Amino acid sequence: MATATRFRTLKDMPSDEYLTPGNTMCAGCGGILAVRIFHKVLGPNVTWVNAAGCMTIAVSYPLSPLKSNWIYTAFASAPAGAQGVRDALDVLMAKGKLPASEDMKVVVVTGDGAAYDIGFQSAAGAIDRRLDFYYLCYDNEAYGNTGFQMSSSTPFGSASKTTPPTAANPIGNTHRKMDLFEVWRAQNAPYVATLSNSHGVDFLKKVEKGGTIRGPKMYIDFAACPTGWGFDPKDSIELEKLAVQTGIWPLKESVDGVVRHTVVPRSLLPVKEYLTKQERFAHLFEPTERTEAIRTIQESVNSYWAVAGAKEGFAVKAAEVT
Amino acid sequence: MMLRVRFHGRGGQGAKTASRILGDAAFNDGFNDQDFPIYGAERRGAPVAAFTRFSDGDITERGFIFSPDIVGVMDDSLIEDPLANPFAGLRKGGCAVVNTTKPSGTLLPDRKDAKIITIDLTGMALKMLGKPILSSGIAAAVARVAGVSEGSFLKAVADELREVGLSEEMVKKNVEFAMAVYGELAPLTLRTEELPSKLELVPLAVVVSGEGMEDVTQTGNSAVRHTGNWRTYRPVIDYRRCTDCMICYAYCPESAMSVGEDGRVRIDYENCKGCMICLTECPLKAISQSGERGLQ
Amino acid sequence: MKGTLLTGNAAAASAARLARVDYVPAYPITPQTEIIETIADWVREGTMDAKFVQLESEHSMMTAAGTASLTGARVFTATSSQGLLYAMEMLYNVSGWRAPMVLVNVSRGLAAPIVLEPDHNDVLAARDSGFVQLHSETCQEVADLVLLAYRVAEDRRVMLPALVNLDGFYLSFTRERVVLPEQKEVDKFLPAYDPPHPVRATKAVAKGSAVMEGFVYSYFRYNMHAAALRAKKAFSEAARDYRELFGRDYGPVEGYRLDDAEYVLVMSNSFTTLGRQAVNRMRERGVPAGLLKLRMVRPFPSEELAALLRGRKAAAVFDQNLSPGSGGILFPEVAASMYHVKGRPETLLPVVGGLGGKQLTSDEMTSIFEEMIAVRRGEKAPEPMFLMRSEELAKAKKAVALAEGEP
Repeated sequence: MATATRFRTLKDMPSDEYLTPGNTMCAGCGGILAVRIFHKVLGPNVTWVNAAGCMTIAVSYPLSPLKSNWIYTAFASAPAGAQGVRDALDVLMAKGKLPASEDMKVVVVTGDGAAYDIGFQSAAGAIDRRLDFYYLCYDNEAYGNTGFQMSSSTPFGSASKTTPPTAANPIGNTHRKMDLFEVWRAQNAPYVATLSNSHGVDFLKKVEKGGTIRGPKMYIDFAACPTGWGFDPKDSIELEKLAVQTGIWPLKESVDGVVRHTVVPRSLLPVKEYLTKQERFAHLFEPTERTEAIRTIQESVNSYWAVAGAKEGFAVKAAEVT
Repeated sequence: MMLRVRFHGRGGQGAKTASRILGDAAFNDGFNDQDFPIYGAERRGAPVAAFTRFSDGDITERGFIFSPDIVGVMDDSLIEDPLANPFAGLRKGGCAVVNTTKPSGTLLPDRKDAKIITIDLTGMALKMLGKPILSSGIAAAVARVAGVSEGSFLKAVADELREVGLSEEMVKKNVEFAMAVYGELAPLTLRTEELPSKLELVPLAVVVSGEGMEDVTQTGNSAVRHTGNWRTYRPVIDYRRCTDCMICYAYCPESAMSVGEDGRVRIDYENCKGCMICLTECPLKAISQSGERGLQ
Repeated sequence: MKGTLLTGNAAAASAARLARVDYVPAYPITPQTEIIETIADWVREGTMDAKFVQLESEHSMMTAAGTASLTGARVFTATSSQGLLYAMEMLYNVSGWRAPMVLVNVSRGLAAPIVLEPDHNDVLAARDSGFVQLHSETCQEVADLVLLAYRVAEDRRVMLPALVNLDGFYLSFTRERVVLPEQKEVDKFLPAYDPPHPVRATKAVAKGSAVMEGFVYSYFRYNMHAAALRAKKAFSEAARDYRELFGRDYGPVEGYRLDDAEYVLVMSNSFTTLGRQAVNRMRERGVPAGLLKLRMVRPFPSEELAALLRGRKAAAVFDQNLSPGSGGILFPEVAASMYHVKGRPETLLPVVGGLGGKQLTSDEMTSIFEEMIAVRRGEKAPEPMFLMRSEELAKAKKAVALAEGEP
């Protein structure tokens, strides 16, 4: 589906800022960058509805780095909070109590703990009700705000505070990352997209496209987390880029259930190049290399792209499995 | 005899670890110990504090130390930071140990009743550890001033750093670093006295005002936080090489870059946290880094 | 005679419609479901101009209710029992947001074991949440208290959510005469909802932002307490207007045959009617009995209660709830209200009864007065009463025997 876009290069990124400097997130935080870019596409009239997570601390009384509206709800129910705002705006406008100029975009912003785990039900309800809202999940693949414990989003092989690598279990987390994109798609969300801050134009276009769709617009942003993942903040974007280039984080969208990959790597970089740059995977390489675990990760990426390519008619050169 | 120590640092510098090393060390010497950190909203680089109390008798205090005998200041930029206010409540006859290259006389001019000890921990850490990691250094300085024995102290450094997951090599280097700091200073005999203060409790009727709702109506007001203080390195744009491609601007997570009327990118140093994404992403290497607070 | 026959549930729904609520987020639970079914019906047929949305849980329902109120909509919702507990986290959030709304709770005992009929452990679990709480005895009171609750909640001096309680079955499914006010009169009584800083595109606001310092948190909590206390004045002013418009008079507490009463029963909610009957029977026997009904539970009407209990010989507090390991929940609140009062009743008797809707005979109710008299005469110690009749115990034991086998 080709639609006209105002975003061709990063230079087209709107210069209006809705995030003011001086937020409390860690230096190099992928989550707050996603909020900043997302907001630029949405424009000024926004209400953010937040669930407990790192971003909750971004708005610490008496300072808010967002020029727009913000409501902190609870861990489990930010989508229901969006429901209340959206419904109130609709009913007040319908009754003539509020002018149309007061209409807003309602955006849920949560981490993966809320999106994949405790707020999963609330998101499912909002999707089922075809609530007209945006959901931005900044996915840093663990409970970052409480110090990096495993969530359903934590990938296979990652260390976390609750899946520490030990002699008995040397690979850390043994669950595979839940495929939230597919879950939301199966729930008939009209628009589901993955984002990576490193692929800014793709990011901008997808938020723009969401604006043309009525109903739930669900976004999962791959949000690099220097503190939790263990890397220098200056490499935040580089790591996100590597996740895309190794095929670990596919950039794709689903419009009315039809999936299209928006960035297709011609040949996948080996996952090792991504894994070795983060302390959360360090135990897969030191003191001894966990060849089998790394192979499991590589094979699962290769097989993902083989299946996706067969469905959509593209070919991706798999990385060598060692 | 009880000694109350308050450590001030920036998130990531190791104030909590310092408080635990000192607590361990005193415990090893046979004292009772109580140590704990406080967590604020802020992250890496933001002001944090941690506390250690030790005593040869029971410790009948708990919580925030308002009147420390010793403060350990891990970063001299905290002195001017009203959120940190590291010398607040320092007792008469107490001691401030400050990591700085500045002369001690300039740091606390209006407190002739307290002793100031300055030491360039950052310089020593960079030389000996290769990184500005300060927990063992500040703990060493305070432990020495407080008269904690060397054996107990060095055991505490190794135990605590192993506990936080440092490699044996880094543990060894830290012990050497701590020994060097310990050797630079001498124990003090502190006779301290709490500063006078007057308690004024306000009745509920005075606390209550208007609707008393927790609304931030001045949204977008976070710039006054001045997160530029969190920075270890500052990015510097070489405008002769910059082609205004806007990549750095696009990827700044802080909105600390803006585009001027001349179309050129400006850095807001008041709030840039120094993540250096801009430096990494600049395709023309037109951004370099310059150390803050005496770093190269 | 004026009025119509309405159940408590229908009275609650009718009052919500008369309040011209904008928004009703809902979730079913027995014995509340009829309220939201009625409203859903009215909205669908166009006789109620509101948006009705069924959420996926009470937790979500309360979240949506709160954020809609923050956005400037007048909100009504209802729940019961487990639903109130499931929403409990959000009760604290909604009050912390200072988001006025009216929540009707239809009381039902709490699991486990699961039960359908009422007691007040559910509503009293919300006692500390910051909601204004009004408890009703009759279906008429349900309708009136819902309307009064909006006036109090939306009062700028208060700006807190309110909860109106009615007992499951004994009110929810019971039909009795209810006189509903005229819409145009209600419109005079209840001005449009106008919060100070609603969520707006043109004037943004941050709500519920994190507070990292104990003293700032204390500041807002103390302010919330003060706002809850101001609800008393707001209630009495609203009640005065209500009386002038509709002729029905409501105070935070209500006395029954108290003038010369020496023995007073303190209670709340629908079984208060049984308490009145017991008072009459005792009076017939020449005992100066009276009753004090708690209508407002938050803010707690300590002064009003103390003023009415001062100088009595004995009082009993009937708690239709149980805090295991302590006893009735309202008893210590009543006792605390009396502690510094000169001439407080020498005897204060705790009574627990009616758990899970356990029926109460008039003998059981009069036994409370008899107990007070016996304690006053020194024949008995003022030990807590736990009401249960011998034939009930026999039946309960029979059930246990069936479940476990005869010994």
